[in-house]
Amino acid sequence: MKKYMGNKLAIFLFVLPALAIFIAFDFVPIIQVFTYSFTDWNGLTTPNFTGLQNYFDLFTDRVFTTSNRNQLIFAIVITVYQMLFATVFAITISDKKMKGRKFLRVAYFIPVILSVTVVCQLWSAILAGDGLLNQFVKLFNSDFKQNWLGDRYNAIYVIAFVNAWQWMGYQFALIVAGIKSIPSDYYEAARIDGCSNVLAHRKITIPLLAETYKFCLIISLTGGIKAFTEMNILTGGGPNKSTYTLTYMMYNAAFKKSDYGYGLAAASVMVLECMMVMLLINFIFRDKDQKKEEEKARRKRSA
Amino acid sequence: MKKKILSTLMCFSVVATTIMGCGANTNETTNGGSASSTDAGANTQSGSESADSGDKITLSIYTQYADDDTKVPYDYAVEQLKEAYPNVELNLIVQAQDDGQTLKTLAATGQLPDIYQASTDVINTFRESNQIMVLNDVAESTGFLDKLYDANKDLAYAEDGNIYAFPFSGQEYVLWYYNKALFEEYNLEVPTTYDELLNCVEVFTENGITPLALFGQEGWNTAAAYDVIATRYAEGGIKALDEGSASITDDGYVKAAEKMEELVAAGLFQEDATTTNYDQASEKFLSGEAAMFINGQWYIEDATKALGDDVDWMFYPAADAASYEAGKAVFSGGGSASGFAVNPDSENAALAAEVAEFITEKYCEAKVMYRHNPLVAIDTGKQPDSEYPAMMQKLSDTLPTITATTKFTWGLTNSTFNDAIQSESQGLVSGQFTAEEFIEDIADTME
Repeated sequence: MKKYMGNKLAIFLFVLPALAIFIAFDFVPIIQVFTYSFTDWNGLTTPNFTGLQNYFDLFTDRVFTTSNRNQLIFAIVITVYQMLFATVFAITISDKKMKGRKFLRVAYFIPVILSVTVVCQLWSAILAGDGLLNQFVKLFNSDFKQNWLGDRYNAIYVIAFVNAWQWMGYQFALIVAGIKSIPSDYYEAARIDGCSNVLAHRKITIPLLAETYKFCLIISLTGGIKAFTEMNILTGGGPNKSTYTLTYMMYNAAFKKSDYGYGLAAASVMVLECMMVMLLINFIFRDKDQKKEEEKARRKRSA
Repeated sequence: MKKKILSTLMCFSVVATTIMGCGANTNETTNGGSASSTDAGANTQSGSESADSGDKITLSIYTQYADDDTKVPYDYAVEQLKEAYPNVELNLIVQAQDDGQTLKTLAATGQLPDIYQASTDVINTFRESNQIMVLNDVAESTGFLDKLYDANKDLAYAEDGNIYAFPFSGQEYVLWYYNKALFEEYNLEVPTTYDELLNCVEVFTENGITPLALFGQEGWNTAAAYDVIATRYAEGGIKALDEGSASITDDGYVKAAEKMEELVAAGLFQEDATTTNYDQASEKFLSGEAAMFINGQWYIEDATKALGDDVDWMFYPAADAASYEAGKAVFSGGGSASGFAVNPDSENAALAAEVAEFITEKYCEAKVMYRHNPLVAIDTGKQPDSEYPAMMQKLSDTLPTITATTKFTWGLTNSTFNDAIQSESQGLVSGQFTAEEFIEDIADTME
C-alpha cells in the first residue's frame, strides 16, 4: 500500500479525471459566477464591469432581507423536523420485535422517490383555499380555516414543512444504515448493566451516529439555503415576494429581468453562505483527536 | 521499481485512451459543425431556391400550443403551409410558460429555433445580442405592411424603428366579465361605481359566492386588476408608469391603490387569490361559484361556450357616474411589439423569414374564422365561420369609441417596473400589504 501511495505520479493520474470534471463543471462555473457578479450583463451580450454596484443594490434590496430570513426559517424547520422524526422512526423500526417494521421502512421512504413537482401538486391541492385541509377543518365547524400558502408571514413555514415531509425519508434511510452498523454487543452490555432502552439509545446510538448526523445537518442546512423549487411551484414566491429565497432572487433577476449580473451577485452570496455553514458544521463536529492536536499545537505555540 | 514503472505506464495508457476518445469526438463534432456551417452559408443564400427545388427543409418553430386559442391557429397554419410550401416542414417546439427562460437559454447556447414567438422583452434582449433578424425587407416584399391595420402599425416596429417580429395579435383588451344569471338571481344591477360594486360584493359574499375570481398566481392578472382601477383615476394606467411619463406617487395612482385596498378588504377577490391559477379561477367563474372574472378578450369564446347568454362584460366601475361615463373610452390592455421572429443564424434564415410571415397571416385568418376574434394585426379579408359571440360583437361596436389603452404586462418595456407592478399588485390583492407599502415599494424600486 505504502508503495502505491508513494507513487505521486500514479496518484496524480488516477485523481486527474475526477479532478478535471470537478474543475470543469463545478470550480470554473463558481469562479464565473463570482466574476460575472461584478458586471452588468443580460446573459447574451458582452458584460460591462460595474464593480461592487450589484452587491450594493443587493444589500439594500428589501427582498434580500426577506430572502435570508426565509432561508433561515426554511433551514431550521427542515433540519429540526427531518432529524427529529428520522431519528425517532429509525430507532423505532430498528427494534426487531416491532411489528410492521418492513412496511414502515418502505412507507417512510416513498415520498423521497416521488418527483418534487408531484409532491408540491399534492400538497397544493391539500392546502388550497377549498382544499382538503380546510374542508376537514370545516367538518368540525371550526373557524380555523387558513390561507395556508397565501399568508405573508406563515407561508414559508408551510412550504418548509412540505419539503421536510418529502425528504425526511432520506435522512431516515441514512440513520437506519448508521444504526445497523453499531455492534449489538454495546446494547447487550448496556442491558446487563440495567440500562433502559431510551438511555441506551441516548448514550450509545446517538453519540455513535455523530458522523451521520453531521452529513444530515449539512444536507438539511444547505438545502434550506438553496431552497427554490417548492416556493416556485406552491406560491410562485408570493404574495409579493414574501416567500423568496436568494435562489429565487437569482432566478427572478436573470430570467425575468435579464439582469444576470445582479442575479449572480445573489448566487455568490448564497454560495458563501453555504460554505460558511459547512465550515461551521465541520468545526462543531471536528473529532476529539483533531481537538487534541489543535490543543497541542496551541500549547507549543504558547511555550 | 518494475511495478512502479508498470503502474505508471498503465495510468498513462488509461489517460491517453480517455483523451483520444474525447479527441475523436471533438474532431467529429468540429467536422460536423464546420460542414453544417458551410451548408448554412449556402442555404442562407438560396433559402427560397432550395424550397422550390424539391429538397425537404425542416424549420424548427418555438410557439405556444396549449389551448384552443393557440392550437387552432397553429394547426391551420401548418395545413396551409403544406399547400403553399410543400417542401417545408415545421418542427414544433412547444413554448414553455417560463418568462422566456427556455428561449434565452437556447439563445445563450446558440440553439435558437429557426422561428420563435418573441415577446417585447425577448425582442429587446435579442436585439442587443444580434440574435433576432431585422425583417423590414421581408415585411415589405411580402406585402405584410400593407395588410396591417392602421391601428396596429406601431405594433410591428420596435423602439429603434425596425421590424423584428410579425405581430399576429392586434390591440387586445382586459375585459371585466360577469355572470348575468347570478346578478339577476340576486337582483343586482351591473355596478357602475365602486359603491355599487361594494354592495354587490356584500350580497355575493353573504350568499357564499366569490364576487370576483382572480388568478393572482399570475402576476399579469393582479397587475390588470390594479390597472382597471388605475385607468379610472389616471388615463395612462400602468403604461404611463412604464414609460416614465407618470409617477406611482401621483394622486391618481395613490387613489387607485387605496381603492383596491378597500375592495380587497371588502372581499372582492377570493381569500386565496394569490395562489389561485388560471384553471382554478376560470372553473370558479364558469361553474357559477364566482360572479365576476378579469381576463383578456380572448376568453370570450370559452366563456360563451360554457355560459352561453349568461355571460357578458361590463365597463369598468369608477368612483362616480361621471368618471364611469368618461372612462368608457379607456381600456386596460393594448397591443405589444411581439410575434413571430426569425433566428438570423438559421441555416435557412431567408426562407424562415418568409415562412414566419406566412404563418403570421394564417394565424390571423384562423383567429378570425375559427376563434371569432377580429382583433388581429392584419386585415385578412376572411369572415368567421359563424356569427361573432354577443360579447365580441359588443366589443367590436365599442372599438370605434376607444380613445386610449394601456398595456398588458408582456408589452411593458421597463423590466424593473414590470417585475415591481406584478409582485406589488399581488401583495395588494393578498390583503396583507397596504396601499402605502405598494406605493413606497414601487417608488423605491423605480428610484
